[in-house]
Amino acid sequence: MAYPSQLGFQDASSPIMEELLYFHDHALMIVFLISSLVLYVILAMLSTKLMHTNTMDAQVIETIWTILPAVILVLIALPSLRILYMMDEINNPTITVKTLGHQWYWSYEYTDYEDLMFDSYMIPSEELKPGDLRLLEVDNRVVLPMELTIRMLISSEDVLHSWAMPSLGLKTDAIPGRLNQATLSSTRPGLFYGQCSEICGSNHSFMPIILEMVPLKIFESWSSSMV
Amino acid sequence: MAAETEPGEPEKGKPFKLLGILDVENIPCARDSVLYGSLGSVVAGLGHFLFTSKIRRSCDAGVGGFVLVTLGCWFHCRYNYAKQRIQERIAREGIKNKILYESTHLDPERKQTNSNNQAVKQIGVQS
Repeated sequence: MAYPSQLGFQDASSPIMEELLYFHDHALMIVFLISSLVLYVILAMLSTKLMHTNTMDAQVIETIWTILPAVILVLIALPSLRILYMMDEINNPTITVKTLGHQWYWSYEYTDYEDLMFDSYMIPSEELKPGDLRLLEVDNRVVLPMELTIRMLISSEDVLHSWAMPSLGLKTDAIPGRLNQATLSSTRPGLFYGQCSEICGSNHSFMPIILEMVPLKIFESWSSSMV
Repeated sequence: MAAETEPGEPEKGKPFKLLGILDVENIPCARDSVLYGSLGSVVAGLGHFLFTSKIRRSCDAGVGGFVLVTLGCWFHCRYNYAKQRIQERIAREGIKNKILYESTHLDPERKQTNSNNQAVKQIGVQS
């Protein structure tokens, strides 16, 4: 989960997020090199007494600084497209969970085998127990089996919301009247925190999401106990 | 990526970021690429100066050398890193499957020995 003053991504807990981290490293290295080059060019321009006021054309440099950025963009676009298509691979999810955004809470429905529905409200700061996280704890977590592919169908009952889970690399808009699909897969057990990511009113900041990824047997006993 | 330290653990401190953006400590291959790039920059710049005695142009050659060597090392290292990750994933899956399916009808080693035995029998029949 996030820690104070964090600038970078959270640790990856899904294969897609791992790929996104590697792509981010790749793009950042290219950005770093371009920034170094620009910084050097600025310093070089500022520290010369030479001046040429009659320049009409400069074919070679113009060719270089047209082709080189195009090549750099291709080097960035290819891994980006690879991950984009990887996100949409057909992977036969084992379970489907529906999540609906409301003002200002999330509701979840597990209707594959039995009718299991519950709401997930944020726990107010006054009711937190010692060790709980402010503005992130909820009364009912979304319990899911780890290492299995899960289909999330996301929609909204009123205004726009967005269901986001940074450590799994997920952010999908919840749009009223529309079903959006996201595929979720966690490589390890634990609690994963997210927050609503589309402005939806006064309590937009107070509708968090907690995924509790557990082994399959524990998930089965949890779902039996909830029905 | 670096996470916040638990109480009681020694503090790691802020990660060092080149130009404030590139975390060379935690990004795989970043440190090696920048170091090799620096070496390439010094070699290119010094070499150019030794041949031409032009300072400004040698500095330009040094910067160009830095960019090219860093990029080259980066792509080479990341490609090998990606290959290694794939191999690790295959090995992990193989170990998991071996543990799961050992002594069952899905055991790949059993299937292999069965097919070898069948091939031997067929050769025996033909001869």
